[in-house]
Formats: sequence, structure tokens, C-alpha cells
Amino acid sequence: MSALICWPVARATFRTRLRSPGPWLVGFLFTVAGAVRGSRHGAGIETFSGPGTIWFIVLTFALGAAILSDEIESGHAQLVLLRPITRAAWYGGRLAGGCLAMGLFCVIAWLATFSAAVARGDGFDPMRFASLVLALVWGCAWLSVLTCLGAFLPRWTNAGALGLIILAWILLFGIVATLRPAWAGVVETVTRFLGPQDPMIFAEPTKPGRDLGPALYDLVWIFVPWVVGVAILNRRELARRRA
Amino acid sequence: MDDPPALELRSVSKRYRLRDGGEFAAVDSLSLEVRRGEIVALLGPNGAGKTTAMQLALGLLHADAGEARLFGGDPELLAIRRRIGYGPDAPLFPKELTGLEVLTLHGELLGFHHGDAKDRAIRFATEVGLAEPSRRRIATYSRGQQQRLGVALALLGDPDLLLLDEPTAGLDPAGVAAMREMLVNLRARGAAVLLNSHLLSEVERVCDRVLFLKGGRLLRTHEMRATGLRAEIRLANASELLARVPQMFASGLDGNRLRLEIPGEDAVPPLVRKLVEAGAEIVEVRLIGADLEQLYLEIVEGRT
Ligand SMILES: Nc1ncnc2c1ncn2[C@@H]1O[C@H](COP(=O)(O)OP(=O)(O)O)[C@@H](O)[C@H]1O
Ligand SMILES: [Mg+2]
Repeated sequence: MSALICWPVARATFRTRLRSPGPWLVGFLFTVAGAVRGSRHGAGIETFSGPGTIWFIVLTFALGAAILSDEIESGHAQLVLLRPITRAAWYGGRLAGGCLAMGLFCVIAWLATFSAAVARGDGFDPMRFASLVLALVWGCAWLSVLTCLGAFLPRWTNAGALGLIILAWILLFGIVATLRPAWAGVVETVTRFLGPQDPMIFAEPTKPGRDLGPALYDLVWIFVPWVVGVAILNRRELARRRA
Repeated sequence: MDDPPALELRSVSKRYRLRDGGEFAAVDSLSLEVRRGEIVALLGPNGAGKTTAMQLALGLLHADAGEARLFGGDPELLAIRRRIGYGPDAPLFPKELTGLEVLTLHGELLGFHHGDAKDRAIRFATEVGLAEPSRRRIATYSRGQQQRLGVALALLGDPDLLLLDEPTAGLDPAGVAAMREMLVNLRARGAAVLLNSHLLSEVERVCDRVLFLKGGRLLRTHEMRATGLRAEIRLANASELLARVPQMFASGLDGNRLRLEIPGEDAVPPLVRKLVEAGAEIVEVRLIGADLEQLYLEIVEGRT
């Protein structure tokens, strides 16, 4: 058993996530969106861009909502944490389980896009693999942020809060862009540092000069919220009150 | 007496803030200990602080004052956690998983390899009467089945210290009997048990010591052994026997019932033999422990 990730917990999390209908519904739409757009020029990024992005994000939110509070509020987390395992390892296991479930849906959607592309005459582009890996880094970073919020927010409000923050920022961006066009550039620059960034540019077939920056930046967004989340969880009192 | 108690609370307090700004103590400088080979029960009305006391002992709650020790060490130490089992009052498990999956997960957390953990899971599920349901998702379990799963989880690591919070709530009579037997077996192999139950008759039958709690404070400790047992024997020919061998009824006859103080269960067979040899026709022998209900009302409710 690893100190950072408790794999039995990850496996159990993976299972519980895959046994609820929500992720499957969203995952289905995600897959269809990719398959419809799958073309021989897309190099796989069409799974994770355009309408695909929306379903990808919704899927991430569906998998990350209540990822910790589910267990803490039912009281099962307390039983698990009375076993010889650290809170850090449990946290890592929950996050890893969520990422595994997300990975599964990504592979399914990616395969659907790929099959559609082959049907339309694609001669395989190795960048297709890159797009899958990039998407995983991106999605895991968002899950990591959701998990971190889940270390102190009850029930599904981690997803709610993050959704609201994103919406508020988009709104702010819109307002600034119309009222003070001169500031739009500043806001855009700031946005590039707020939260995980779309890393697909690296696999973008039409753009010369492949940029790995956003993907590397997303790695930071996996690990920093992870560390912060564990620190928060370690300070919490975990006794459950009867419902 | 050299080895430290399995569980020890030293003047532990836990306070909660009230809405009006005041404070109240759910547990108020409570000290108690449970030694190996001992079954101890916490008794007290709802809200007495029994659950809070257990959670403080386990480190699930942080005490405002005092400290909790398990086997002389910090409850948070992983090596110590390996040795404890806890059954919370109303356990809820991930309802998408099966009972076996949850048991296997906990087996792995205890350090067993996947295969061993699985075998163990099957064994413990069978032991608590969940052989068939354990293959189904927990979403389909009844309250009592969840309670049984909780008991299996508490026992899974062969704990040296077991804490059970109202383990008999929701259990059927067979489940209660099995639970009693399990507790006695655990004690026989030297484990320590802290129990929290309202079923006084059960507590009476298995416990070595009862701690009466109210308002977060320890009101009194009662040693069960000190009281001994009473045997109540119903006779078919009481009056005839009284006329023939009056010396046998020194301690009194109540209608057709003979009541005797006895030191323990071992004293029953010789007593019965003696009575039969004297010509008694025995219809029923009942053993009555210390009258906990009486004691409870006296200590906790202040009635006499
Ligand atoms: N988180 C909390 N906030 C406020 N009051 C609490 C909290 N937890 C427990 N209490 C109160 O502490 C007292 C003791 O609770 P508990 O230990 O659960 O009692 P019981 O003896 O029934 O198990 C109760 O009055 C309960 O309402
Ligand atoms: Mg209680």
C-alpha cells in the first residue's frame, strides 16, 4: 500500500462511481459528441473540444461531486480511517478512484471518436494518443480541485461552488470585455493562471509549434490542490452525527 | 497490572457551543478505563455522552481537555489502530457496493492480501449471518443487516479492543444471542470490550463492570461480580417440602418460589441436586443478576 494513494480505496471509489447512473448518462453524451465530430483531421482532440469539452467538464463534475463528503457524511470514512491508513492515503485513494473512472470514460469516448475517424478514412495519427493523455491530465486537475473543495464543503457543494466560481468568472470576463475593452487583455492573462488550462493546443494538428505549457501547468493543478486538500482534511474532526 | 489499559480516558472533556453563545459539556472530565479480558458497559439516558465518549477515545473527536490512550499510546498511531474494532451506532456503507466488497476492502486496509481479505470477508459475513445478502448491494439491506455488517467489520481484524455503540439496536433475538456469545468469546481470548447498550438484560448477562453516565459525567461504577446472582426456583410441591424439611427454606419461600443468593452459575447444579435429593419437584430455575433496571433508576433517575 502506497503512502500517497491507498489502492483498495481507489478501487472501491472507482466501483461506486461506475455503479451510479449519472456518470454513464453524461459519459454516453460525451461519447456520442466525440463520435459525431470524429474526423480524419482532428487527431483525437475533437473528443475533448467544442461540445465535447462541455460533456467532459460535466462528467468531471459528476464524478467529483461529493467525492469525499459521500463517505464522510455516511460515516464509512470514519470506519476506514480507523484502520491503519493515513488520511492522506485515503484522500489519494478517493481522488485516484475518481480519476480512474474518468479515465475509463475518456478512453471509451476517445475510441468512439477514433472509430468514427477511421470510418471517414483516417490513417492513424500518433497525436491521437497525445490528445488522450492531455485530456487525462486536464480532467484529473479539475477532479483534484473538486476533491480539495470537498475536504471542507458538505455534500455536493464542492461541485456547486466550483461551478459558481467558473460562471462568475465568465460573467466578469464578459462584463469587462464589453465595458472596458482595454482591460480584456489583462483579464484574459489572469484567466490563464486561474485553474487548470485546456492543454489540447499541444495536439492541435493545424497549429505549428506545439505548446506543452498548459499541460505542464495542469500538473501543478493536480498536485497543489491535493496537498492543500490533505492538509485541510488532516485538521478536521471526523465524528459523524446521526442523520 | 503493569501493562497499560486497553482503553483509558483521563479527565476528558468535550464542549459544544450553544446558539445563545453559552457552552455545554457533552462529556465532562470523564475518566474511565477498560482492561484486557474485561467487558465494560456505558449506561445512561439518551444524550448522556456515551457515543461522544467512544468517539473521543477513538480520536474521531478532539478533546477540549484531558487525553485518550489506547494500549498506553496515542489513538492516532497506525500500529494501535490495527488492534481496534469499532461498531458505530448507525453504520451506513456505500450503498453501491456489496457487503463482501466492503468487507474485502477493510481486510485489505488491515494489511491482508486481496485473496486472503476476500476469504476472510466470506468467513465473517457467514459468521454474522450475511452469507447470502453479502453478495447483494448494500442498498438492498435492512437496518438489522446493516447492523450485522457493522459488527462483522468491527470483528474483522481480530481486535484486542472492541468498541460497540448500541450494537443490538435493530438486531433480531437470534442476532442478540449471537452477539452475546461473540462478546464472551472475545473476552475469553483476552480482548477488551467497551459496550454501549440499552438492553439492560443483555448488559447484565455479559458485563464485568457498568459505568453509569449522565450529563457527560460518571455517576457511578458498578462491579457486576460484586453482586453475585440470585436463583429463583419454582417448585410444584413447595408447601409439602416446607413442612418436611423447613431448614432448607431459611432464606424464605414466596408462594411456591424459593429464592437463594448464589456465588455464581457453578453453584446451580449442586443446588438443584441437593433439592432433588430432598424430594423437591422443580418446575423452573431462573437466574437473576443484579437488578440493573432498579440500579439504573436509582442512580440515573434518582428514584428509590
Ligand atoms: N456536534 C455537536 N454539536 C452540538 N451538540 C452535540 C454535538 N454532538 C453531540 N452533541 C450533544 O452532546 C450530548 C451527548 O451526545 P451523545 O454522546 O451522542 O449521547 P448518547 O449518550 O446518547 O450517545 C447530546 O446532548 C448531544 O445532543
Ligand atoms: Mg449514542
